[in-house]
Amino acid sequence: MRIPCPYCGARDAHEFAYLGDATVTRPDPAAPDAEDTFFDYVYLRDNPAGPHSEWWYHASGCRQWVRVARDTRTHAILGTELARKPAGDAA
Amino acid sequence: MTHILDTLPLTRLPAPGSYGRTGAPGVTVALREDVAAATLVARRGAGVRLADVVQARFGLTLSDGPRMAGDDALAVLGTGPGRWLTLAQTRPGLAAELASTLDGLAAVTDQSDANILFEINGPRVLDLLAKGATIDLDPEVFRPGDVAVTAIAHVGVTLWRPGEEIAYRALVARSFAPAFARFLIAGGAEYGIGWSRRG
Ligand SMILES: [Zn+2]
Repeated sequence: MRIPCPYCGARDAHEFAYLGDATVTRPDPAAPDAEDTFFDYVYLRDNPAGPHSEWWYHASGCRQWVRVARDTRTHAILGTELARKPAGDAA
Repeated sequence: MTHILDTLPLTRLPAPGSYGRTGAPGVTVALREDVAAATLVARRGAGVRLADVVQARFGLTLSDGPRMAGDDALAVLGTGPGRWLTLAQTRPGLAAELASTLDGLAAVTDQSDANILFEINGPRVLDLLAKGATIDLDPEVFRPGDVAVTAIAHVGVTLWRPGEEIAYRALVARSFAPAFARFLIAGGAEYGIGWSRRG
């Protein structure tokens, strides 16, 4: 599988570390219902057959987090974007 | 043919000489330790001013992609968004010079002792690199001035093509350099390797 990194170009999946679902947000640990929301966050994940949004870290390349849209049935990559804009703005 | 690797300690770099097939070498490798290096990381919101100052002071255009500018005297390579690697063969005080010139615009970190530079040339250089690289190094794809932070033979490298010639430079972390050297010798033995050290 090749992932088109927005900075580096097409790279082998071995260059990346996989984090997982990019659609979930870590709950507030100080909230009164934190125990329940963390249970959902940690254990109750969707397992979609089809397009999925995921975090991949380009560990052997530009060392940036990349949001990857991947079809879980075919491994087709539908799009990628950097998790954050470069600190150097329009350099 | 690669008897050198049977006796060379895993932590040592090979001595200068010829390895593998005899005759004109298909690949020549020169190790350089006389190159000053420093990383630049643009401070938040300072990217445009940083590019202006680098242009004015050093005459180099900071690329916003994986491209290089400059030459052996002073080069700047794009390694990530807002990140560059600067290399200089004639400026031992490179990091200090950059730090004072770019104060407030970029974080500057001296990397001069962190890496070893491999100059990899010769008519069979692409055949050798193809055994370890996962990126497309076809000369029409990986063009003069192109840079890639990648892995070759599972060793992290910053690889670039300085010019029109089919020749490459690879910067490898010092502690991984013996492993990268072993890849070059094992993979290049069938083409014959001329090995030298400079600096
Ligand atoms: Zn990348």
